[in-house]
Amino acid sequence: MIHHRPIVKTFIFSILLSTLVSLANMGYAQGGAAAGDAAKGKALFTTNCASCHNPIKQITGPALKGVTERVPDKKLLHDWIKNNQKVLAAGNPYFTKLYNDFSKTPMNTFPGLSDADIDDILKYVETYQAPSTTPGGDGVTPKTEESDNTLLYGILTLILAVIMFVLLQVNSSLKKLSDDKEGIPAQEPIPFYRNKVYITFVILILFVLGGFWVVQGAIGLGRQQNYQPEQPIFYSHKVHAGINQVSCLYCHGNAWDSKHATVPSLNVCMNCHAAINEYSKGPKLYREDGSEVDGTAEIAKLYKHVGYDAKTGKYDTNAASPVEWTKIHNLPDHVYFNHSQHIRVGKVQCQTCHGPIQEMDEVKQFSALSMGWCINCHRTTKVNFGDSTGNGNKFYSVYEKFHQDLKNHDKDSITVENIGGTECQKCHY
Amino acid sequence: MKKVTILSIFVIAMAVIAGCGGVRRDPGRVYMPDMAYSRAYETYSVTDSMKEALAKQGIHFSNVPVPGTIKRGEIFPFLIGKDKDGDTVNYFASRAVRNPLTSFDTVEAERLYLVNCGICHGGKLDGNGPLYKGGDGPFPAKPATLVGDAKYETMPEGQMYYSVTYGKNKMGSYASQLSTHQRWMVIGYIKSKQGAGKSAGGSTAGADSTAKK
Repeated sequence: MIHHRPIVKTFIFSILLSTLVSLANMGYAQGGAAAGDAAKGKALFTTNCASCHNPIKQITGPALKGVTERVPDKKLLHDWIKNNQKVLAAGNPYFTKLYNDFSKTPMNTFPGLSDADIDDILKYVETYQAPSTTPGGDGVTPKTEESDNTLLYGILTLILAVIMFVLLQVNSSLKKLSDDKEGIPAQEPIPFYRNKVYITFVILILFVLGGFWVVQGAIGLGRQQNYQPEQPIFYSHKVHAGINQVSCLYCHGNAWDSKHATVPSLNVCMNCHAAINEYSKGPKLYREDGSEVDGTAEIAKLYKHVGYDAKTGKYDTNAASPVEWTKIHNLPDHVYFNHSQHIRVGKVQCQTCHGPIQEMDEVKQFSALSMGWCINCHRTTKVNFGDSTGNGNKFYSVYEKFHQDLKNHDKDSITVENIGGTECQKCHY
Repeated sequence: MKKVTILSIFVIAMAVIAGCGGVRRDPGRVYMPDMAYSRAYETYSVTDSMKEALAKQGIHFSNVPVPGTIKRGEIFPFLIGKDKDGDTVNYFASRAVRNPLTSFDTVEAERLYLVNCGICHGGKLDGNGPLYKGGDGPFPAKPATLVGDAKYETMPEGQMYYSVTYGKNKMGSYASQLSTHQRWMVIGYIKSKQGAGKSAGGSTAGADSTAKK
């Protein structure tokens, strides 16, 4: 299947292309809208029409491609574009139905557009071709396993251990041979599993390894570093925060104002996704196991939860249901952590703790979120005490001694630890 | 030597199994589950099924504030309601509303604009943010050109506020993301950028009212 895909793709693309070309020709023959300059039309379309119309997508207004076929009367179409209210008042059945279908959303009037301008726009609309899908998407390959050297070292160690074992056996055999030659009476041969040296050695190794595993396991209890659960909707932070540069705070705005960063409610998703109903322009998406994700289907899942009908643009709140996301970053209840304190006051970047989130398709816990990890950062992070001119965070003005120290150059910076950032009751109370 | 071979194969197999750490889909174990996972309901965690279970115990609650609730310290709310489908009465009525903020923190207003609006309307307010990118972005509709387009340069503050609060065309409502005060700050920021800081009030509103529908 994989080998056939490019061929199939080329085939489909060529069919689409020929259809489009023939459609455009039909438009030429029937509507006579070909008179006009598409390049000029594009500029006019972007300024005047693009906020409500897309050539191939229904947004606030209908998709415009093929409009010269739907409305063959050129004069009527021009009248409609210039002043749709007049046409509606005259009672044209086609436009009245269209107006009602789009819940009577009135279209702007464009008295400033000349007939030539409208011809340019129509020419652009009719010759519009969708940008080829997934630009640069084919070059992205699924994630390959990162090479891990631990296994290699383990195997090498084992091989060396086996060689050592064999050499020891050879050594004892040779010793026995030489003893035989010199006439020293050979001792009763002891099998290796009853040889006290071997037994001691094995017990020692087991003790060390066992101890290591027990300690590691105990430390790892309650820690979730690298936890990467499967979420009910494949929401890619890479597509949103990385490629499309949506600010973290657009969705997680509460991180600025409150203790919790919070998962956005679905109306925040719909701010963009009421219009963006398909995933076609980004790179291909893959799950961690390598299977491909259909972005458009994932957006459809969102619509289902919102109770939104993408065809009619209507919401049915009775059909809506919350998305039950899996929480990844868990702090125990006996730990106090406040997002706004860190990002608003401390100016810590999201990525400092959450890692390169703008590159993650599926989010995983980047940091250990252990107490040692917190404390280390509090020991090394410098607080914004400002310079002698008095810039810096005014909240710290009460620390007069530190300001004095900075002035006297006894200290060159103040860390979070200096102002009590490692005291127990700062986070445990 | 046969035993040695068996033993070493076994050890290697163990090492291979231990070495292949895949994706961690499991959160792992905890010392005291009661402490790690709160017994109390966390923010947003109450689902309908949980509410039903609580209702059986005689506990009824809603985590939505009563309509008309005003946050402590918040400025007086915008009293014009949302238009019904196909109606524009309130949209035009909102023109009369003036920005209640006489001064505001411009740095914070710019931050709010860039976080919430810049993604579509562009950091330069040119209607060409990363989501539109001159038609190459995923957003199919062209966002409003806030600076440089006469339609928006002359649009009264109240009407802009209406659009930000209730949404307009393909723009959604920002009432859940920005407070009343913050929305007026953003409007103030946009107005301060338009026409080189010239205040566009209701004076020019009547001139081309039909074009603004």
